[in-house]
Amino acid sequence: MEIIDKQVDGVTILSLTGSIDAMTAPQITEFIQAQIAKGNTKLVADLKGVDYTSSAGLRVLLGAIKETRAQSGDLRLAGIQPDVQKVLNLSGFTNILKTFADPDAAVASYK
Amino acid sequence: MSQRYQITRAAELKSLSVFREFISDCCGRHNVPEGTVFELKLAVDEACTNIIEHGYKGMDPGSIILAFRIEPDRILVHITDFGHVFEPADAPKPNVEAALEDRELGGLGLYLIYQTMDNIDYQSSDDGNTLTFTKFIK
Repeated sequence: MEIIDKQVDGVTILSLTGSIDAMTAPQITEFIQAQIAKGNTKLVADLKGVDYTSSAGLRVLLGAIKETRAQSGDLRLAGIQPDVQKVLNLSGFTNILKTFADPDAAVASYK
Repeated sequence: MSQRYQITRAAELKSLSVFREFISDCCGRHNVPEGTVFELKLAVDEACTNIIEHGYKGMDPGSIILAFRIEPDRILVHITDFGHVFEPADAPKPNVEAALEDRELGGLGLYLIYQTMDNIDYQSSDDGNTLTFTKFIK
């Protein structure tokens, strides 16, 4: 799992590349926790490079969304690939999070 | 015509991607539809994660045997471990329609198996615990 962070208009974009499972999920949680600790609570996860997630990825998202929203922020998703979209649909996560076609649209949604 | 495949790996998190690749490779030889391959990978991943994180809890990690048989209209999967007995019916059931604040972090893995697979069964004996499920190829 590779994670790169970038600041755009006060929003932190996290670009993830790889597969998310119980092995790789803790690394993502740690990365997001470090961002929140720095005060970066308006987050966008760019999932263009993520071809797979299990429920381990859902747990990461749920934890991060709860924590950022508690601090007036959010975690919004962009670039979701078809298999990841399926897992979000099956678990009803599309009802509780905001998704966008690309990171620019997700960043703009914070304005 | 049916074809059997089997792989045994240590019950460690780093084995998860090995199981997924094994499924991709085997299904690729039989032109199994991509959507079905994805659902198999997901269900096997969730089952093996439960075994690794809960089945062998407090024990030396043993092994997981993944066996499956590809038939023209279905794929039969057997996952065997030698850890604690797990009763799927007793696992927490997530409410996938709940609002964010009421969402729980657990139970989603088993839920995804039930959502994607058919004929799920679990047997436990002195020879180990075996979770079996079938995926019909549409």
